[in-house]
Amino acid sequence: MDSNGFKQIRRVILRRVLLVPVIILLLVCGTLVYYFANYSQQQVASELVRIASDHRRLIDQFFSERISDLQFISSNFNFNTLRYKSNLATIFYQLQSGSKAFFDLGVFDEQGNHVAYVGLYDLAGKNYAQTEWFKAVKEQGLYISDEFLGYRNIPHFIIAIKRVEGDRTWYIRATIDTFSFNDLVESIRVGKTGEAYIVNRQGILQTRRRSGGKVMETDEDYALYQIDDKEIHSFVTGGYWGQRYLYVIGPLKHLQWVLVVRQEIGDAYAPLTRAILVAIFMIIAGGAVVLVMTYIMATGLANQLMVSDMEKRQMRTQLIIAGKLAEVGEMSAGLAHEINNPLQVMKSERTLIEDILSDIEENEEIHDQENLRLIKDSVNQIGVQIERCGQITTGLLRFARKTESLMEQVKVQDFLPQVVGMIEQRARVENIRIVQKLDPDLPPILSDPNQLQQVFLNLLNNAVYALRGKDLGEIRIQAFQENNNITVTVTDNGCGISPEDMEKLFLPFFTTKPVGQGTGLGLSAVYGILKGLGGDITVSSELNVGTVFTVHLPPEPPGKEERIG
Amino acid sequence: MVNLQLLLVDDEERFLETTQRLLEKRDIRTYTATNGLDALRLLDEYRIDVVILDVKMPGLDGVEVLRRIKQKKPLVEVIMLTGHASVESAVEGLKLGAFDYLMKPCDLSDLLEKAGEAHTKKQNMEEKIRKAKIEKIIEHPLSVFEKD
Repeated sequence: MDSNGFKQIRRVILRRVLLVPVIILLLVCGTLVYYFANYSQQQVASELVRIASDHRRLIDQFFSERISDLQFISSNFNFNTLRYKSNLATIFYQLQSGSKAFFDLGVFDEQGNHVAYVGLYDLAGKNYAQTEWFKAVKEQGLYISDEFLGYRNIPHFIIAIKRVEGDRTWYIRATIDTFSFNDLVESIRVGKTGEAYIVNRQGILQTRRRSGGKVMETDEDYALYQIDDKEIHSFVTGGYWGQRYLYVIGPLKHLQWVLVVRQEIGDAYAPLTRAILVAIFMIIAGGAVVLVMTYIMATGLANQLMVSDMEKRQMRTQLIIAGKLAEVGEMSAGLAHEINNPLQVMKSERTLIEDILSDIEENEEIHDQENLRLIKDSVNQIGVQIERCGQITTGLLRFARKTESLMEQVKVQDFLPQVVGMIEQRARVENIRIVQKLDPDLPPILSDPNQLQQVFLNLLNNAVYALRGKDLGEIRIQAFQENNNITVTVTDNGCGISPEDMEKLFLPFFTTKPVGQGTGLGLSAVYGILKGLGGDITVSSELNVGTVFTVHLPPEPPGKEERIG
Repeated sequence: MVNLQLLLVDDEERFLETTQRLLEKRDIRTYTATNGLDALRLLDEYRIDVVILDVKMPGLDGVEVLRRIKQKKPLVEVIMLTGHASVESAVEGLKLGAFDYLMKPCDLSDLLEKAGEAHTKKQNMEEKIRKAKIEKIIEHPLSVFEKD
């Protein structure tokens, strides 16, 4: 079969072997990756939520402690004690020993006058009646400010408490150290990009943001925040890769601020991405290995199928040929016999006519010499034609293996060159190269050299005929030992034999030569002779590529018993 | 071909007729039979030197006829004639004592040649037997009265 058939078989095998496992593999991997991705996303989010809620508690606690610190002072000391800076300083240092978060401390009277101050700035005596925070604390009793610049002109925020002492109202105010508060918030670090910061409800940053944004700057991302009033809430923002964030946002208890913890998606899901990449790599690598192995397997399988298919075909052809030949062999023998008898009669009659003619010539006076000459010519021609018929019947009988053989020792390696010598001249004329590769160590066989000569002469003649008018024609003759037999192959690169002709090849009278050029008895005789000698012949051929005849010769002919019948 | 007397056995009558005519023209006394039984009868009636015997005949076939001839007249030489090139029967014939075989269609000249050789052989054999008899008579004169 051609290479198309081979490729088709291989394609079918590949499709069948690969399709199902690949689909299953993809389904399994896809499902696993999907669930794993979901699970790890939840894990990552809940981890971030946990961190955020821990810190929110910490920050809430910070504020609670600072408020209670101030409430403790305001309830345990009266205005007259605290209006003196020395007293206030003593208390301030006590506070600072408890928490470094207090930056300074001040006491204000009802009108907003800064009565006493302990801290780095010279703020004593200033009036705060018109400031935001003073108004607020006056109204609410407790006020924690957003970050603001104030008199000192650097960002800070304060905690202020109102105290009503009899008919006197006074206020105590502490500034919280921005740096220590920043540290408290900023200490949250998750992965490479995980960060925490605080914004107020106007979107103003209350702590520094690591990825950019100073205190009191506007947070550009504020519009994206989904803020729940009580609970911690996590969500993912859209946008380009690298600008997408996993957010966890929770409101603080004591003031209108929210704690934002966020991490870049790429960073947050890095382990997941890595796992998926590994999975994809393994699928691709595994798939490639499977593909290569399957390809190799399919190629091998397709090859085997092709070979066995070809062998089966050949076997079937050989069987058909053998059956046909046996049938025709019987028929040929009968036919030859039936023709030979009338031929014998004809021959005798012809001899008689010849006899009578010569009698006439000798004894009688002939009036018409010309007619006598014509009769003699005609009788001669009858003789020639009887001879011709005789040759045909002899050929048929040869095919039917009914000829006698004379056994002799034959050395094939010495014998073949002699036969080749007989056609060498013709081959040279046709410009054909003859290559002989004969094993010089072949053992001699017992066979009939005359019949073998006919066999190989026929094969060589056919090869020469197949190569007529072809450039670079070559006939290759090989002889080698195979088991006990000697195998001779005659190969030509000529026109080849069509598959239809292949089945009829050894039948008597089958010929592809033009009428009058061949009787079609050559190969049939070859077949009959070889069968008679206990040998065999097979042929394989491809159109326009060439033909190989393979002859098997046994070391000696089979016993007589086998030959009868 | 002096004194050669031939018996031609074949089921093809025209062949017998023509060949007989040809042989008679060459001064060979020829008898013909179309079957084995006739042939055996003719052998009893006439002195026949060489039998040309077709292998394949209806009734008694050539090989069987050969066997009976050799039983009856061992000195008569038989040439098998086969159209079948059935080497098997020809070879069998040779084993049973046939002189040789001829393949149909055969030339008259071939037939004459083989028949001549067979006749010579027969004559030689007869000569030998005669000599042996003479020697025997010389040694035992009374044996003249013995039957063959």
